[in-house]
Amino acid sequence: MNNSANENLRELLAGFMDESAARQTAENIEKGEEILGANQSPQPNERVLAEVKKNVVAALRRRRTVVFQRRMFGAAVAAAMIVISVLVLMRYGNQQNNQQTRLVAASIPASVWEGADDADVTVLKAEIENIQSELSGVQSDNTGTSGNTSVGDLETELIEVNGNMWKG
Amino acid sequence: MAQHDIDRVIIGCQKGDEGCFTQLVDIYAKRCFGYFYRLTGNRDLSEELLSELFVKLVEKIGGYRGGSFDGWVFTMASNIFHDHLRFKQRQTRLLDEHGKRIMSQSAGTASGKNDDVDKLQISLGKLDNDVRELVMMRFYSQMSFKEIAESRREPIGTTLSKVHRGLKRLRELMG
Repeated sequence: MNNSANENLRELLAGFMDESAARQTAENIEKGEEILGANQSPQPNERVLAEVKKNVVAALRRRRTVVFQRRMFGAAVAAAMIVISVLVLMRYGNQQNNQQTRLVAASIPASVWEGADDADVTVLKAEIENIQSELSGVQSDNTGTSGNTSVGDLETELIEVNGNMWKG
Repeated sequence: MAQHDIDRVIIGCQKGDEGCFTQLVDIYAKRCFGYFYRLTGNRDLSEELLSELFVKLVEKIGGYRGGSFDGWVFTMASNIFHDHLRFKQRQTRLLDEHGKRIMSQSAGTASGKNDDVDKLQISLGKLDNDVRELVMMRFYSQMSFKEIAESRREPIGTTLSKVHRGLKRLRELMG
């Protein structure tokens, strides 16, 4: 057996030494390799080769199993990621819907309370304002009645009306 | 075997074809066995390393990305040999003695079995470990000096010098 690799040994060696030294070095290498070629090493027998092939086939089957398991594991991980993503999206979407619902719920009482359509509320508010103006008049002695009794009556009446309003 | 046939076998191996792996064993087993035998001087050990090499090839061949396949295979063989030496070193803590022992005539008796150790094996045992491995790599892998230097990550001048020194010494010993 002689190594070749299609390289020009003398040319290669000439890059490191003069021509005669390169020639001598190349000759030493070639002669040395001839000795190696003339003294072949023992060869593996057929039993060994068969054993090696058997081991190779076994390793190949092991590798296939490992590759299959890895693919299955990868697929399982991917499926789990998809499921988790879907669940997260669903949960996130529900949260958004709930927030909208709450906003609507919060806006309803305000609109009702401030709306001019509710006749009862308007009447009660007018009555409270009337009583408050009467109370102010009594406190400033504009009505001509005895102050303490009138103020007490008005306060009682105001509390009663206020209570009725909240009772509905 | 023609290069395009070897390329076909390599592609088949990368696809996991059992028949192609069998062919790969037929193509490389003898050379790789010779490489291991000349480094260890022990037939049983060489058989173990050979089997380990091909199992490793099954695992790693998907990572082969072109270039010299011979170089790729023998670089792996070299790594396996060094792993073996490191394993032994851990076991015995006597790498130098072990290296000489496995390369000397007594290598066979160390494993309890006498091999037919030839004169070349004895002469190789007298070379430095690194030089011996380089000479064997060059001879059995058929790699160019440039490829060997690249695989060993050393300047090509260093590779040339070591191989020349080793083969010149071998000539003297065998003369």
